[in-house]
Amino acid sequence: MIDALTEPFGQGIAQRALLEVVVLGAACGPLGTWVLLYRQSYAAESIAHAMLPGLVIAALAGVPLALGAAGGVLVAAAGVALAARGHRVGADAGVAVTITALFGAGVLLALTPAAPARLGELLFGDLLGVTLTDLVIAAGLVLVVALALAVAHRPLALAAFDPAAAPGLGARPGRVELALLALLGLTVVAAVQALGNLLVVALLIAPAAAAQRLVGRLWPALLLSALLAALAGAGGLYLSHYLDLAAGASVALVAVLEFAATLPLGARVSGARAIGGSPIEGLGRAR
Amino acid sequence: MNGTALVRTDGLSAGYRRGEPAISDVTFSAPSGQAVALLGPNGGGKTTLFRALMGQLPASSGVAEIAGRAAYVPQTERSRLDFPVNALDVALMGTYALTPWYRRTGRRERAIAESALVRVGLESSMRAAYGALSGGQRQRVLIARALAQDAEVLLLDEPLSGVDRASEERVLAVLDELTDEGRTLLVATHDIHQARRFDRVLCINGRQVAFGTPGEALTDEVLQATYGGELVVLEGGARAVAIQHHAHP
Amino acid sequence: MSFITDPFALEFMRLALVEVLLLAVPAGLLGAHVVLRGLAFFTHGVGSATFPGLVLAGPVGLPAQLSALGAALIFAGGVERVSRSTRMAYDAATALMLVAALGLGVVLASDVFESGAGVDQLLFGTLIGLSADDVALTAVAVGLGVAGWAVFDRAWLAAGFDAATAPSLGLRVVLADWVLVVVIAASVVAALDAIGALLVSAILVLPAATVRLGAPSVRALQAGAFALAALEGGFGLLVAYQLDVPAGPAIAVVAGTVFAAAALTRALARRAPTGRRRKVAVL
Repeated sequence: MIDALTEPFGQGIAQRALLEVVVLGAACGPLGTWVLLYRQSYAAESIAHAMLPGLVIAALAGVPLALGAAGGVLVAAAGVALAARGHRVGADAGVAVTITALFGAGVLLALTPAAPARLGELLFGDLLGVTLTDLVIAAGLVLVVALALAVAHRPLALAAFDPAAAPGLGARPGRVELALLALLGLTVVAAVQALGNLLVVALLIAPAAAAQRLVGRLWPALLLSALLAALAGAGGLYLSHYLDLAAGASVALVAVLEFAATLPLGARVSGARAIGGSPIEGLGRAR
Repeated sequence: MNGTALVRTDGLSAGYRRGEPAISDVTFSAPSGQAVALLGPNGGGKTTLFRALMGQLPASSGVAEIAGRAAYVPQTERSRLDFPVNALDVALMGTYALTPWYRRTGRRERAIAESALVRVGLESSMRAAYGALSGGQRQRVLIARALAQDAEVLLLDEPLSGVDRASEERVLAVLDELTDEGRTLLVATHDIHQARRFDRVLCINGRQVAFGTPGEALTDEVLQATYGGELVVLEGGARAVAIQHHAHP
Repeated sequence: MSFITDPFALEFMRLALVEVLLLAVPAGLLGAHVVLRGLAFFTHGVGSATFPGLVLAGPVGLPAQLSALGAALIFAGGVERVSRSTRMAYDAATALMLVAALGLGVVLASDVFESGAGVDQLLFGTLIGLSADDVALTAVAVGLGVAGWAVFDRAWLAAGFDAATAPSLGLRVVLADWVLVVVIAASVVAALDAIGALLVSAILVLPAATVRLGAPSVRALQAGAFALAALEGGFGLLVAYQLDVPAGPAIAVVAGTVFAAAALTRALARRAPTGRRRKVAVL
């Protein structure tokens, strides 16, 4: 039994991969809890794509790629936050506009002859290629995210619960949302190179969604989401080892399975749905 | 006030989950040309009764019938203010069911919608964006939509909440005209004083508390049973309901 | 003028132009409802969620478009189920199903079947790789969308305005909305080969979002989004041709730039109301 648990992680590569997902999971879980509360899953799913133009420009200009990537996501965060304010277009169409345009520009730039080849692959990542540097970055990221979420806990909670009353209580929803998106973007920048976009999104959304269905209050949900994300990381790597599947996809699927395991709980929130039961109640923002 | 009942329930119970009806044992009827006030607290079952009458919620026991074309006039805050429609577009929606799918809405439907808007006094605001209208004007647009449906029975969900004084008079005048034409109205309201203006009053609070003329139904005992702790008796015998309004989920 | 006409003398450019003009039809008719009813994430998600279907197409022996559509519809049904049974917000349900679909696709692609060819084309679209058959299939999908629009547009409009009361108007809202979901999914699948899975929003969402900034009615929104999608698509093709890049990214950049310009113009017009006020004062 002990052998079965320790055997997959006999090698340095696998040990580093395990550490990386557990550590990043601890950061992604709580952040994902806020992403869900602010209904920004679309931004979380897509914001990594906004790195691309930044990466190419950085490569062409000869500055560190990480700076370019950070620039790209911060532009995207600002665009998404701005779009959320304009009620006419709607928050999710705003994300579509921002990310699609930035990603398109990134692809165009990446195809110019001067750009280094295969920059786009940075979006896909390789869990089993994690280096010591990646681990140090991940550890630093966890500290930054934990600190930022702890410091901003009150404004985050106020603005999420009641945006209309929040200014009177000392939290400006627009700024809080922008700060959350910026933090999300930086997390994605730090995590995507090691994990790939699919895995980052999985660790952000699925454990947090499962945690919110298991516990009803904010602090327990934040802590449980960190725990579930770390568990999904470790569990996914075992699955990957024993079934010989792609590592990143296995972790993603285990995270989704954690959520799926909560499905028998049914609906946590009570209250009648609108008359008729249109599928679009479930698929779109419209009430 | 003659002829057979256009709206009728008999021992009606309905609800969202098995075993716990939101309304039970509701029995009332209204003939052509009668306006019935539906009085009750939040969560007392007013909307449930409407849904059961519209056939959108099956009765767990008893009968709910509307003999004629019926239209539901929702609270204005349920519709989207940012939706790109003007008053005429909204009124035109009332003709959709009368127009087969292979026909575009044409001049005839437009004329119906326009005359409905004229009826509610909005002839000068037909091209105004729905979201730019006042609460009372929006309420009248939704009534016009019900008129365009050519409804004989109108179920109005708190048409006077969130409506300024001038519009309130206007809406009430429109309702009077509609009953004069022989249409039957069922009007949900919180306001005990407004309820006195109607031909009949139906008080429900989960179950039916009273049904009758305002004089019969609006007694202290009935109001106490309808509103319970929410009812405040003011000096001089005036009554008020402490909690007035809530937004539906 | 020859800058515009010369490229379209080429066979593949003419096909691409026909494809883009065809896609402009759902971009207008359906894109309006995508924007009005907050279906942008669904539209994006359904494009990405076709991935496992595309991986399976070869081994199972189905046409790629058909298995992609199958995957898209399973995705739509799954999101709806999860969201309804858990009462979770639509965006969380969409993201969860998307992760599941992509994870499954990666596992299928890398561990079960050997594939990988043509992945770039599916992600970003192609300019020169379109065949007449592809365009014909797009025409079928667009025809489906137009048929759905002809029958259900009124129900879509009334449900968008007030979903709860639309059934009381005598409209079959549930059926109509399922049809909307299906025709959006079909349009997304049709757009895959030309525009790419990651950029379908460029033609199906961005033009409608741009016109939404100023459209006074749903009809105007649909007509405007169709015209804008056709213009942006055609211009994007020229850009793609001149720069020798895929069509999807070029159209995305063109559409994004137009949106930014429109939003900026609108914001400036609102900041500076002086002109209008002066007019009123004179009157």
